[in-house]
Amino acid sequence: MPKDHGIGASQKRREDVRFLTGAGQYTDDISTYGQTYCVFLRSDVAHGTINNLDTSDAEAMPGVVRIFTGKDFEGIGGLPCGWQVTDKNGEPMKEPAHPVLAQGKVRHVGDPIAAVVAESLEEARNAAEAIVYDIDELPAVVDMKAALEAGAAKVHDDLDDNLCYDWQFGSDQAAIDEAFSNAAHVTTLDLINNRLVANPMEPRVALGEYNRANDESTLYTTSQNPHVIRLLMGAFVLGIPEHKLRVVAPDVGGGFGTKIFHYAEEAFVTFASRQINRPVKWTSTRSEAFMSDAHGRDHVTKIELALDADNNFIGLRTDTLANMGAYLSTFSSSVPTWLHGTLMAGNYKTPAIQVNVKAVFTNTVPVDAYRGACRPEATFQLERLVDKAARELGVDPIALRRQNFIDSFPYSTPVAVEYDTGDYTATMDKLEEMIDREGFEPAARRARPMASCAGSASTAISRPAALRRRTSWVSSARAPVSMTPPRCG
Amino acid sequence: MTKVTMTVNGKAVSKEVSGNTLMTEFLRDELHLTGTHVGCDTSQCGACVIHVDGQSVKACTMFAGEAEGASVTTIEGMANADGSLSVIQQAFQDHHGLQCGFCTPGMVMTAAALLKENPKPSEHEVRDYLEGNICRCTGYHNIVKAILAASGQDVSGIAAE
Ligand code: FES
Ligand code: FES
Repeated sequence: MPKDHGIGASQKRREDVRFLTGAGQYTDDISTYGQTYCVFLRSDVAHGTINNLDTSDAEAMPGVVRIFTGKDFEGIGGLPCGWQVTDKNGEPMKEPAHPVLAQGKVRHVGDPIAAVVAESLEEARNAAEAIVYDIDELPAVVDMKAALEAGAAKVHDDLDDNLCYDWQFGSDQAAIDEAFSNAAHVTTLDLINNRLVANPMEPRVALGEYNRANDESTLYTTSQNPHVIRLLMGAFVLGIPEHKLRVVAPDVGGGFGTKIFHYAEEAFVTFASRQINRPVKWTSTRSEAFMSDAHGRDHVTKIELALDADNNFIGLRTDTLANMGAYLSTFSSSVPTWLHGTLMAGNYKTPAIQVNVKAVFTNTVPVDAYRGACRPEATFQLERLVDKAARELGVDPIALRRQNFIDSFPYSTPVAVEYDTGDYTATMDKLEEMIDREGFEPAARRARPMASCAGSASTAISRPAALRRRTSWVSSARAPVSMTPPRCG
Repeated sequence: MTKVTMTVNGKAVSKEVSGNTLMTEFLRDELHLTGTHVGCDTSQCGACVIHVDGQSVKACTMFAGEAEGASVTTIEGMANADGSLSVIQQAFQDHHGLQCGFCTPGMVMTAAALLKENPKPSEHEVRDYLEGNICRCTGYHNIVKAILAASGQDVSGIAAE
């Protein structure tokens, strides 16, 4: 019987009634008195120098209020990265400037060159098309390995190369070398966690409003994270004190991580509304979302597992290239490091683990946290590797997992996490029961000649429940079936 | 500018619009009926589905002028006369057929069109009919379940996924 109250009972959501009757209020549903419309002119090349940018014809077009270019943002802050990472030599990561509007160079398709503010959306679009510009295309780096080669085109001229940081974490070199030299078997796997675009159903929107009477700005934005946006935009980009800045995030039509970050368009509409003393609204098109929303994943990894003669895991070593894109988005630097490296133990008592991550700049859209934010990447690498090891050794993949499960708590992993509790054997028992493994595998074998896709996979996932300090995590065992609970956005 | 006249959710409306005004713009900007959403610029997502003379239509892909003289229903016109949720809307709430709610107006309008054409659809027919509506949050199972439940069919055997 389903429960009707208390823990475990199904709850009716309060927001459903307004969503089901068309009364939800998403950012694009908000319009303000005297509102203007903004359209960005975006780069259609991955890398280039802006030679000529002439807005005079466009400015004379009907309805144009003002056209902004990089010049209007000279001396104004750029978009900051919110997480400093120190590389393995103790050097801070490279954080190149991330201007609101391009300053002389474009570094990815979609990099904004100019912004038109007009009385109507149609007039803004027409004027954006009338801007005359000339970009000298430069060689672009897209592939991370190629981007790290000597002589590769540089995304940022003021950096020595395209390396953002070279991060190392976990066991020291001696411990990891010893594990691999004692190994009876080493399994190696190369894999790609492919780049993706989050694509929430609601495109991003930003509406900036300025009140000259009290010098206050309000930003309505499609955001999962309005407080951080107020902090970053106020303190680092526009220099507006927090008490003069209000950031409103109404109903959000899905985010999947990509609406966590502080974006150029938010800073732009806030800035422009102060300049022209009228509200400025920008609504992304779907096509624009592909080149201006932060992307997710994009890792290339080599991972190795050392096993002793009894198939115990004795060492794990990873080498990952993580694509940052052309600029560091708000939390980009933390994703392949602290959110990923700390998960590499998984549910296994591997005594020596070393995680190596090189973050790379390329001429692509910036990459940041997306659904699980690198914990899925870590789990995918580890569990694919365990399956491969089982195949190479000719042993049952579930038995190999069970044998190596952490079985006493609290447990400190070599990657800085203390697991307070867990029962992986019980969750694996439950999983085997749920998938009816004994009945499933003969069925899958029968299906195979018909080229069916039947197959089995098992993963065991730990996901931190909360971040304590930077290097200390609380973890609980989770049912191995579902990676993240279904949730809004 | 041309004058367009139509009935929207039972009310007569008349506005001056330019010839290239899309039905989504007309509803959202002129009539302030913001329940009809715009999720794409390629007629793919279905967040904008409305009914025009009883037919389901992607409002982003028709001009307001094309609805001249028509009877239009949007999500704002779908609740019962007393303001309570209609059978389809209630089924979406009961079966958790929505999360962020952005696709939901289009889903409800499409579901209503389906059940009018086919009052007892099979699960396969529901999935097939939803081909033009994208949901990024739910994974569709509970939407399908809600529509089957709204058609009066027993969904107790369908696992919530
Ligand atoms: S807005 Fe996507 S189909 Fe109409
Ligand atoms: S509920 Fe979010 S897109 Fe369907």
